[in-house]
Amino acid sequence: MKSQKYLPFFSLLHREISRFFKVAAQTVLTPMINSSLYLLIFGISLGPSIHIEGGISYLAFLIPGLVMMACLNNSFQNSSSSVVGAKFGGDLEDLKSAPLTPQNLIWAYSLGALTRGLIVGSLTFLVGEIFFYVSEGHWLAVQHPLILMVFLVIGSFTFSQLGISVAFWAKTFDQLSAVSGFVLLPLIYLGGVFYSVSNLHPFWQAVSRSNPLLYLINGVREGILGTSDVQMPLAFAVALAGFLVTHALAYWSLKKGSYLRW
Amino acid sequence: MKKSQDNPPLKVQNLSKFYGSLQAVNQVTFEVQPGEVFGLLGPNGAGKTSIISTIVTLEEPTQGKIEIFGHDVQKDPLTAKSYVGWVPQEVINHGFFNICEIIKFHSGYFGKSLSEEETNQLLKRLDLYNHRHKKVKQLSGGMKRRLMIAKALCHNPKILLLDEPTAGVDIDLRKSLWDFVKELRSQGVAILLTTHYLEEAENLCDRVGFLSHGRILRIGQTSEIVTDLTEKTIELILDRELPELKNSWVQSQKGNEIHLKVPMTKGVFEGVRLAGIDLSHIKDIRVKDGDLEDAFRRVMKEGQQ
Ligand SMILES: Nc1ncnc2c1ncn2[C@@H]1O[C@H](COP(=O)(O)OP(=O)(O)O)[C@@H](O)[C@H]1O
Ligand SMILES: [Mg+2]
Repeated sequence: MKSQKYLPFFSLLHREISRFFKVAAQTVLTPMINSSLYLLIFGISLGPSIHIEGGISYLAFLIPGLVMMACLNNSFQNSSSSVVGAKFGGDLEDLKSAPLTPQNLIWAYSLGALTRGLIVGSLTFLVGEIFFYVSEGHWLAVQHPLILMVFLVIGSFTFSQLGISVAFWAKTFDQLSAVSGFVLLPLIYLGGVFYSVSNLHPFWQAVSRSNPLLYLINGVREGILGTSDVQMPLAFAVALAGFLVTHALAYWSLKKGSYLRW
Repeated sequence: MKKSQDNPPLKVQNLSKFYGSLQAVNQVTFEVQPGEVFGLLGPNGAGKTSIISTIVTLEEPTQGKIEIFGHDVQKDPLTAKSYVGWVPQEVINHGFFNICEIIKFHSGYFGKSLSEEETNQLLKRLDLYNHRHKKVKQLSGGMKRRLMIAKALCHNPKILLLDEPTAGVDIDLRKSLWDFVKELRSQGVAILLTTHYLEEAENLCDRVGFLSHGRILRIGQTSEIVTDLTEKTIELILDRELPELKNSWVQSQKGNEIHLKVPMTKGVFEGVRLAGIDLSHIKDIRVKDGDLEDAFRRVMKEGQQ
């Protein structure tokens, strides 16, 4: 029997990844079908009648937004449901009694969430590519892979950290779904997944620009299509700020919140 | 590490814990030595779980401190917790994972990677080997308890905290658990257990603390507490009626039947003789030693006053 310094962290990470793989039908397949339906309904059926500036098809416009939406949503779902489940079953008490630090917990949950976010995001992209190939006759090429990865990763961590924090303070499952349904989803939908904000009335444009999700989603759009509604340095700054704020929030939650079971 | 060897495995000093305005633990102080079983005994709500929860840092002490081999659990939690195996009062669920996975992850959290052989050995020892691919919800109550113990032991802790490990457990399992505890004690593990089965505590605990409303009313060697706080009951049937005895040890005297209570330190015959009864008159005799339960009752009663 040997003792290893990073083993506590990697054990928790291993557990986090196994956890969602065990129920891949719910955690991977269902979200992927969801994204595919969006692509089918909006991209394929309605797409041809929707005009986007810059000469790209609506389907192409839609793909990055849906990839990011899948990534963010699944990251949030993964960490929040893991924490809530652990509260419910008492596992969280176990973690507290073990020599794990709040940072260990944050990064294990976040990397678990990132894994799921990237898997569902990639599958969404794959389905998008197939639809794109069928309707345009060629593949959609990724313009800036590095920009794409940066925004996916930072966005995923941000939403995972948000998921940890919300789940840690939630008193019931309902409170958790309220946050995801009434706060996060609207922000994602209004963050320019389905439309370009430059087409909006100036007032709504201003409102949209105060939504941080706009910057995350447009970062991914820049990465895949090479065009976006916002400046990249600004988008990056907003993404980074979001990451830091949610990191502080998650750290404070794990430091001060209760690990006791419900 | 010098620090670790010079200090007791577990040292609780002046611990107080408030939940809002409710004081669950009140100025509790005790130590547990290597190879010692210390029992925290008390009725429900006495504060036993609260003490254990502060040791594993689930709760913060309102006052006082806890040291594990000299490491403060608040200031140096990682080192402190790495020595501790904890069997919580309530079973932990672990959702989708089976016994093997649970043990693998749990030992990992403590920085130990178990070989398959080590895992199997542990599971066999706790009679879980044949169930190793089952999830918690597929296990019986007794198996769940044993799994909690396997988890607590998988990283070879130097301190074992057992929070009512036998509550709702059948007699056979209870007995095997106690054998197990004795084995660990002989290996030098320091064991803190809480229970309200006093007979078991008397058999098993080298030292006990009686806890009531968060306060330790009495603490000491189990045998000493029994000797100090209880009496020997002697029931005699004589071959004749004696005139009324004037001795404070005599509880009742009816015809040729006499009941005595003598200090535990006195021998039976010595007690009878000192009560003024001629040993040659004894036709039949029944003796019951005082036990931990008697001592506990007495301390609790005096604590109420
Ligand atoms: N998390 C908590 N919040 C508020 N009160 C608590 C909490 N945990 C325990 N208590 C109270 O503290 C007292 C001691 O409880 P506990 O430590 O569980 O006792 P025991 O384990 O001896 O039965 C009880 O009155 C209990 O209701
Ligand atoms: Mg208790």
